[in-house]
Amino acid sequence: MSFIIFFIVTLFIAVIQTIIPYLVNRTIVFGVSIPEQYIDSKTLKKYKKHYSISVAFFSVMILGSYVLWVLRNDRLDNQVALTGVIIEFALILISLSFYLYYHGKTKQLKQQNKWVENLKQMKVTDLSVRGQDEMLPWYIYLLPIISTAGLMAYTLMNYDMLPDQIPTHWGPGGEADAFTKKTPISAMQLTLVLLLMQSMFLGIHVATKKSGIKLSATSLQASRNRQLLLRKYSSWLLYIVVLAVTMLMSYFQLMTIHPEIGEGSAKMLIPFGFLVLVLVGTLVFAIKVGRSDKELEMPIEAKIMDHDEDRYWRGGIFYFNKNDPSIFVEKRFGVGWTINFANPLGYFVIFLPLIIIFLIAFL
Amino acid sequence: MIIRIEAEADVPIYTQLTNQIIVGIARGEIIPGDSLPSVRAFAADLGVNMHTVNKSYHELEKRGIIKIVPKSGAIISPMEQITSEKQQQILSELKPVLAEALVLGVSKKEVQQLVGTILEEMKER
Repeated sequence: MSFIIFFIVTLFIAVIQTIIPYLVNRTIVFGVSIPEQYIDSKTLKKYKKHYSISVAFFSVMILGSYVLWVLRNDRLDNQVALTGVIIEFALILISLSFYLYYHGKTKQLKQQNKWVENLKQMKVTDLSVRGQDEMLPWYIYLLPIISTAGLMAYTLMNYDMLPDQIPTHWGPGGEADAFTKKTPISAMQLTLVLLLMQSMFLGIHVATKKSGIKLSATSLQASRNRQLLLRKYSSWLLYIVVLAVTMLMSYFQLMTIHPEIGEGSAKMLIPFGFLVLVLVGTLVFAIKVGRSDKELEMPIEAKIMDHDEDRYWRGGIFYFNKNDPSIFVEKRFGVGWTINFANPLGYFVIFLPLIIIFLIAFL
Repeated sequence: MIIRIEAEADVPIYTQLTNQIIVGIARGEIIPGDSLPSVRAFAADLGVNMHTVNKSYHELEKRGIIKIVPKSGAIISPMEQITSEKQQQILSELKPVLAEALVLGVSKKEVQQLVGTILEEMKER
């Protein structure tokens, strides 16, 4: 079971890392903004191709060796898991190194060819774009939150039925493998963590909604399309993940109270189903959004470009812009969002709930 | 309505913003009673400081073009009878611009044509 899970997750990471250059914003190449006039440059196309081929090659090598290593001998489950984690990190590090290499080369190319000179830098927005935003309403999050509150009440009412040892960790097969002594707090721990996660997701949702809808002066229609789809689908994906997490953790909590529902194949299928749902959802999201701005735009005659914001992006990955009130902005390398590190509100939304969750888990 | 800001221009961003909103109203792209985006949303969408948008909104309010209503935001004001004082002010702002054009060698006829094209883009309120 461990092997299948790690194989699927690593394969997923490999596929996404390989195709990223073709899914990012049309005017961003390896985290460097390129004026619309030059995005069809042969050299840039070559860089993208070389990156993808290199990452794909290393992915096949790593996954192949992993499969051979597992098949050659009977490996212990925890050995398989540990190696699985190591190869996932290795793959991420390898693709990151290739990214950084081509990030440097693209930056150099942009400078050498003086792509920015003689172009007027524009910022653009549409007053009606907010009205076209189709993100889910925030109150839809009340549904899973109320369900968790109900589960908490149910746990307290059935406190006597709980075993003396409360499970705190579950293995990949859905089997509890770590326990703690029964106290009112340890009995509620899982539901508390769930509630915190739900609030964090709600916070992320609200912060995303308040963040800017960034349009491009040179490809107004394509950028509008992409921004609106990104917002809509990421709010759906986030909500699906919240529902899935709620169901999974509620199931574990109910299994602790009523051990009989954990018998049979459900125990194994539910966590596995959760994993597959999240991975498939993410892949569909990445491809849908990634393809949304690749339609050909009318060639632009005016000598304009989007405002060059490279100076706010460290390495094309970390965004620091204290003028921008957005908490989240679209990622430059990847599909999705990244945090504006210069906005303290972002730390509040992301890191505060995480710290509290860690405190609950380890104290 | 599309707002286009020149990021590195000599004209400050808040002035560009103010001018474009006024032109937008004159063209009928936004009409009295419409509300402008909240300061935060507008600033986030454009990627500019909130003070910039705030400054532009206050400028517009001072000129009687929008009304800032607490909680519901900035709303474009209905047209009122123009005071002779205001008319005088517009005249005195227009005069040097036209004069400069003539001094720089644009003919009177060309200036008239120029003003005519600009007015054609705009609606009578």
